[in-house]
Amino acid sequence: MRWVRAIVSLVLAAALFWGLDNRHGTFPALGKLLNPFAGFWQNGSRSDAVPENLVVPGLLGEVRVVWDARHVPHIFAQNDHDLYLAQGYVAASLRLWQMEFGSLYTAGRISEVVGPVGLKQDIFTRRFGLPWAAENAVRAFRNDPKTREVVDAFTAGVNAYIRTLDRKGLPVEYKILDYKPQPWTDLKCALLLKAISYSLASYNQDAIMTQARAALGEETLDRLFPFFPPLVPPVIPPETPLDFTPLPVPAREKPAGPALGATGTPSGSLLSDFDAPPSGAFLIPGFRTGPGIGSNNWAVSGKLTRSGFPILCNDMHLELSLPAIWYEIQLSAPGVNVRGVSFPGAPLVIAGYNESVAWGFTNGTDDVLDWYDITFRDDARAEYLHGGEWRKTSIREERIKVRGGATVVDRVIYTGYGPVVRPKDEPSIAPASIPAGAALRWLAHDASDEFSALYALNRAGTYAEYVAALETWDCPSQNIVYADRDGTIAIWHSGKFPLRWKGQGRYVLDGADPRDEWRGWIPHEQVPHVENPERGFVSSANQLPAGPGYPYYVGWDYASFERAARINELLAAARDVTPADMIRMQGDVLDVRARAVLPRLLDILRNETAGETEKKCFEELRAWNFEWRAALIAPTVFDELWTEITRSTWRDEKKGNMEGMPWPASEMMVDLIMNSPEAEYFDDRTTAERETLTEILKRAFHAAVANIEKRLGRFGEAWKWGGVKDTSLGHLCQIPGFGRKLPEADGVGHVINAIDTKWAPSWRMVVELGPEVRAWGNYPGGQSGNPGSRFYDDFVDDWAAGKPYELVFLRSADEPNPAVVGRTVMRGGK
Amino acid sequence: MTAVLICLLVMLALQLLTPYWWWVMIVPFAYGAAAAKSGWKAFRTGFFAAGLLWLGTSLFLYLTGSGLIATRMARMFGLGRSWLMVFVTALVAAVAAGASGYAGYAVRALVKKPGK
Repeated sequence: MRWVRAIVSLVLAAALFWGLDNRHGTFPALGKLLNPFAGFWQNGSRSDAVPENLVVPGLLGEVRVVWDARHVPHIFAQNDHDLYLAQGYVAASLRLWQMEFGSLYTAGRISEVVGPVGLKQDIFTRRFGLPWAAENAVRAFRNDPKTREVVDAFTAGVNAYIRTLDRKGLPVEYKILDYKPQPWTDLKCALLLKAISYSLASYNQDAIMTQARAALGEETLDRLFPFFPPLVPPVIPPETPLDFTPLPVPAREKPAGPALGATGTPSGSLLSDFDAPPSGAFLIPGFRTGPGIGSNNWAVSGKLTRSGFPILCNDMHLELSLPAIWYEIQLSAPGVNVRGVSFPGAPLVIAGYNESVAWGFTNGTDDVLDWYDITFRDDARAEYLHGGEWRKTSIREERIKVRGGATVVDRVIYTGYGPVVRPKDEPSIAPASIPAGAALRWLAHDASDEFSALYALNRAGTYAEYVAALETWDCPSQNIVYADRDGTIAIWHSGKFPLRWKGQGRYVLDGADPRDEWRGWIPHEQVPHVENPERGFVSSANQLPAGPGYPYYVGWDYASFERAARINELLAAARDVTPADMIRMQGDVLDVRARAVLPRLLDILRNETAGETEKKCFEELRAWNFEWRAALIAPTVFDELWTEITRSTWRDEKKGNMEGMPWPASEMMVDLIMNSPEAEYFDDRTTAERETLTEILKRAFHAAVANIEKRLGRFGEAWKWGGVKDTSLGHLCQIPGFGRKLPEADGVGHVINAIDTKWAPSWRMVVELGPEVRAWGNYPGGQSGNPGSRFYDDFVDDWAAGKPYELVFLRSADEPNPAVVGRTVMRGGK
Repeated sequence: MTAVLICLLVMLALQLLTPYWWWVMIVPFAYGAAAAKSGWKAFRTGFFAAGLLWLGTSLFLYLTGSGLIATRMARMFGLGRSWLMVFVTALVAAVAAGASGYAGYAVRALVKKPGK
């Protein structure tokens, strides 16, 4: 009896011990997590207190960190080394978990933390060659003494912070997921750059376009997806004269057509086994790729401003998340005093301004990623055909450690182009946008050193220095807007671009044919650019970079016309502009698409409404001012109506298994509605009669209203755009309770204030370049990555309401400023 | 009562000095194995000592800056109110400590002469 009692009670106690000490699936180790002495209870706001003195091993001199009321660090160091070491330390103290999780993600190592559930994502990340790309970048960093100093100092700073942490001090996510930070390395900085490239420069539709070509022919696709679409104002004003002599461009030496036929691959089978993209659960924000990505920037010359000083504006649209993608920082040392935002895992300021110049980004959205269909000699895949010869492949062995499981070894085949991401005969781990059996040629795989560009931009004082800085900015290509105190404004569509024939790489290329390869590069001074254009402003919104007068081809799949057209329309009419006007403009939600088409659509629908709900919807649209306000119902109706029109117009064009084919851009639809209401595209080929816009629109309207009613119930409160859009900031790891919803936020992806469901302006900035540079900014988040801190999401409401803060920019650590709330002195130790 | 206090103070000291949560199981086990007069007393002592320690500490932290993180954790666990986290914290420690205190006594009972 006593034995039974002893054994039962011991087993029970041991089970409790084991149960509380370990994670179970996604359920945390309760004992560790709830322990008030070292668990989550220690992650309160007490950690927001700013220490007065810190010993930070590795510092050469004294560093002073001034904290303002919004918890923005202003770092003053006596040399570059100390500056970036202190930045690493401070960044880690604010955002360590986010930095490290991002690097693990890009390295294809999340299985180490989350277990087998992360395996599919890790395999995909590695097959896509992201760790390989980062290793190539690290080699470039180490070859450049300046970049090396910056990255090494930053790394030392992060590690100095990690060494101060005991279990109690760890960010709460480590406690929930039950793991510990590993040392920071320069590779992790490189991984971060590659994550950005993946997010911004890997979107492509090559596979799907190849399939569409087989079904529709290249001529039709050229009409539906024109290289110079209607209504889109290019970034560089078309009248801008070329200030260079172009190189000869490679000619297309073979006829259009299924190059793939030559290799025995019927193009239709490229996508034969569609598979869903890797499970969304661990696709972290900032790492997802898609057509929704966009950004705005513009600069207005002093001729158009009230003060006579130029004003530069930028809002970069990225996926919403908490902790936020950006954090604010000021970095000051001899030779540099710069203020702006950075990614927590990267040294330097990425977008911002200094005492002389300001700069900002929008994604270039160019095509720097091509797929090459590979003809392997046999199933061993040790050789592939190239220019009539057999070439050897190589194998990169990816060893993926899995928490609570065996290490998985994935042998990735590399050709001269790059990795074969999705072998034909394997169960697919990749999204459908990846053609089976093709090798990936991607610019981001090449060695590059974007940090050296940022280092120089942080210190630029003149236009010439800005242009020189951009020379090492390879990928992702960006529209980099510029303004300075001397009154210059400019924009460079900067990046490294292969020399290609027009349209090369729009479809899957033939890996056996050397003529399909990239042949040389566009010289940096010949990328699209303009300085001080006649019209008095420069702008970009991810649209086509240059018109037909530009001699090179750099891509075709750019943002639709709406934001670019609206920005240019507002700036063309602008006089006596003030920073307040620009802040208002960043909050503009007027939709030029709706404004263009709605009067015509309503004309047709005037006598077609049936029933109470349709009449109300019609009334909403009729009374609409084309603004995407959260409190309105009209945007909901228009959104659904537009989807229905688009769907019913293009659906039947995509005959057969063409569901994945992209819809032509919205400007094509607008152009058809306004100029060709009788166009054959409107005809539904599945019916006997010949439809025009009129019939299609009526059907679309009935369907749209019925859809909304089915989804949201009776016409009323639930139909308001804010609730329908359901903007939300999710936690990076989707931990429930760590994110928030923003039903009151106006906007949609294709207006200037592009607050969409998941994507939104991730940093808004307005800089006036007078004798004293003044700037305003805000982002959806807060400086701290600690969900228990009041600085975790304290900017969000003001951000959603379009209210930026005036940014504190100090000339020296001692400068008195009412916004300064704390000072830390850092000194080196043993 | 004295036993509860002693257990509590020993656990407090060990918890302040090390990051390990399981002192709230080890200490009651040791008490149960070394000194407890009965299984029920061993359970009760562990239950109250650890429960009170974690209750007091988490409540103090809850009131002095950890309210927000408790709110988020409560939402993560699907609990309606943030103060429930204090309750859950105390309960987990109390149950674990009670069970291990009892197990400690039960083990000692094996080597004790029956009927002693």
